[in-house]
Amino acid sequence: MDDKVTRTRAGAIRFDKAGIVYPNGVVGMKNLDLEIRPGEFVVIVGSSGAGKSTLLRAINGLNALTSGSIEVDGEPMPKGEGRGLRELRKRVGMIFQDFRLVKRMSVMSNVLIGRLGHVPGWRSLLNLWPVRDREIAIKALERVGIADKAWTKASDLSGGQQQRVGIARALAQEPAIILADEPVASLDPVTTHQVMKDLVRINRELGITTLVNLHFLDLAREYGDRIIGLRFGELVYDGSAETVTDQDFEDIYGREVNEDDVLDEDAVQG
Amino acid sequence: MSRANPSSLPAKPARNWSLWIGVIGFLLAMTIWSAHGIGFSLADLVCNIARGSRLLEESWPPDFGFIPRLYEPFMETIFIAIIGTVVGGLLAIPVAILAARNLTLGPLIWFADRNFMNILRTLPDLFWAMLFASAVGFGPVAGALALSVFTIAVISKLWSESLEAIDMGLPEAIRAAGGTWREMIQFGAMPQGLPHYVSYALYAFELNVRASMVLGLVGAGGIGMILKTQQANFEYERVTMIILAVLIAVLIIEEISEAIRRRLT
Amino acid sequence: MSDYALKPPGQRVGWATWTTFIIAALFLVSLWAIEFSPEIMLKVPGQVAEDLKAYYPPDMAYGWEAVLPAIIESIQIAWIGTIIAAILSLPLALIGARTLFPRAARVVKFISATARAFPEILLAIYFVPIVGLGPFAGALAIGISSVGMLTKLGAEVVESIDFGPVEAVEASGGSRILALRYAVLPQVLPEIVAHWLFRFELNIRASAVLGVVGAGGVGGVLLNTLSYRHLEKAAAVLLLTIIVVLAIDMISGSIRRRIINS
Repeated sequence: MDDKVTRTRAGAIRFDKAGIVYPNGVVGMKNLDLEIRPGEFVVIVGSSGAGKSTLLRAINGLNALTSGSIEVDGEPMPKGEGRGLRELRKRVGMIFQDFRLVKRMSVMSNVLIGRLGHVPGWRSLLNLWPVRDREIAIKALERVGIADKAWTKASDLSGGQQQRVGIARALAQEPAIILADEPVASLDPVTTHQVMKDLVRINRELGITTLVNLHFLDLAREYGDRIIGLRFGELVYDGSAETVTDQDFEDIYGREVNEDDVLDEDAVQG
Repeated sequence: MSRANPSSLPAKPARNWSLWIGVIGFLLAMTIWSAHGIGFSLADLVCNIARGSRLLEESWPPDFGFIPRLYEPFMETIFIAIIGTVVGGLLAIPVAILAARNLTLGPLIWFADRNFMNILRTLPDLFWAMLFASAVGFGPVAGALALSVFTIAVISKLWSESLEAIDMGLPEAIRAAGGTWREMIQFGAMPQGLPHYVSYALYAFELNVRASMVLGLVGAGGIGMILKTQQANFEYERVTMIILAVLIAVLIIEEISEAIRRRLT
Repeated sequence: MSDYALKPPGQRVGWATWTTFIIAALFLVSLWAIEFSPEIMLKVPGQVAEDLKAYYPPDMAYGWEAVLPAIIESIQIAWIGTIIAAILSLPLALIGARTLFPRAARVVKFISATARAFPEILLAIYFVPIVGLGPFAGALAIGISSVGMLTKLGAEVVESIDFGPVEAVEASGGSRILALRYAVLPQVLPEIVAHWLFRFELNIRASAVLGVVGAGGVGGVLLNTLSYRHLEKAAAVLLLTIIVVLAIDMISGSIRRRIINS
């Protein structure tokens, strides 16, 4: 498929004794050693404050490391807020819990934001997008199944649709890595499954390394390949979704697992 | 091959071109017409920068020796502002109450009062100053009258809007218990409305101190009169001094007023 | 005859009474200081009433001939002044937002506070000797004075937006400028334009006044008619001014409402 060919990078991530201590003294990440191979689908779990967001945001430089190092495809994280960081971010797409669309703009314009790093400045300032970039945006919309809403105002969509626009925006970057920070936390159960299925499908079809933060453990088990557990900023579990047990979850959370930690109280359907 | 939207997108809804062109056309036309009308010329501006810098040189440093002569006119300015705020503030009370849809005496009165209030708002304070100066003679009395009218306009607009937003529970209860309209207002609406009133009155006072700075330019008393004479005599260092003094005073008054307002809310 | 005290114990003079006292005292002192006397109070209504008689009927012929052009000039002055201020204040408002540019914002806020402190008429006093008498000086004065207010209000609007999309743009590799163009501007533009319109309404009143110092507009005409005691002519000035200002307020107000709701 063309899509794999156009991407020249693989999407490998390596944390080496990485640590983050916030200015107020809180430890967000502690001595993290982690290696992620290209094309993996990784689910990160842990109780609130365990450092899931911190980990994700360290990969695209939104949180800076205070010790240790991160490498993406063999290249260390660029320092400072300049060109190097922007180049890296072009290859890493991010999906947010609160979608973060520009409400007043159309879906299409929102997805084109994903192409900002790839067109010259004057074109994006004047809203003159080349045909090729528009086609990429359209393909991204088709891949998540909402191409028919391309010209709708973003705020007129439902939550699930808005999140799909968010996914399309990330896809439009033609990224090597996709980071999804609690992508389904604001969605209802049915939509949640749809979005998780989309993420899995994209990962399988396009081979994009995908990291997803989840706080619903049944979802983690159902959709993840590899599960990473964090506690107080430290890596406490690294295993396969097929073999993870409830006891493992309890160890990660440091307490008993209860109803709030699963999406469907009964066994997960379909 | 269409440049616009390849593949399977629905058609992009046609931009409302006529609206956009109309608006931009209007803006451009208005700007060009206005610029022409006022004799706008960048060339003039640039050529006169030299004059401008000379003027600034002449205006600096401020003539600090002039301060003693400022004391009286300055106090006059403050007095005018006080009178204007007090008189205007008192008169604004009925005007505002009758302009509030939920408190007024009847639709006709409301309509009349509303329009009366709006008309008061249209004329700038200096116009009132000119009118009163012409009627009762130059001097601080004219200024005080002008500011009174201006204050009525300011306070009644702000306060009537805030009165329309009060909780009508208590006033209704008073009515239901057989109270008169006056009693409903006094005991039902005022307790809620008073804090806002004080806030707006203080705000009006700030505006009035600033305004009475300039009232003197049309002869209505206060420091503006000295400002005018000094400016006519091209004594720009003194003009700067006056402006400086007033600005500082205004800032101080604003600070005090803010502090009072913060203690109330 | 009752055993109950008629007043709650410990109730003496409350602070509300004190405040009223103080204000009344200030009021009386002020009256005395400006040499207000009861005679003046009696004369004033009489003089005002007499003047009012002289205002009627308004000299509308003069109105169309001399006043309307002056009002048009005032509108033009206000328009150009507002346009200047709008163009200058937009980038300043963006820079002046604490949430976007923490260090630069403080400088901008300070500058805008200084610009705000000047009433337009004082600025006009400085501009007239520079570019000469006439409406150009007035437009410049209004422009500079309005920049301060519009920058402050604009910066507040920018500070109040949802910051999420800004981060999303930067997370996908966009620069700060692109984030401004795509995440900030679409959110703030309607409210900022509404502020511009309201400022235009206020500036019409301001520009009307500037004629008094020779900076163009109706103010000069009114001053003239009053100086010569041509009160019927002055009446025409007032009437036309009121009508025009009301009309502009209404139109601008409805446009503002439509923009905010879009």
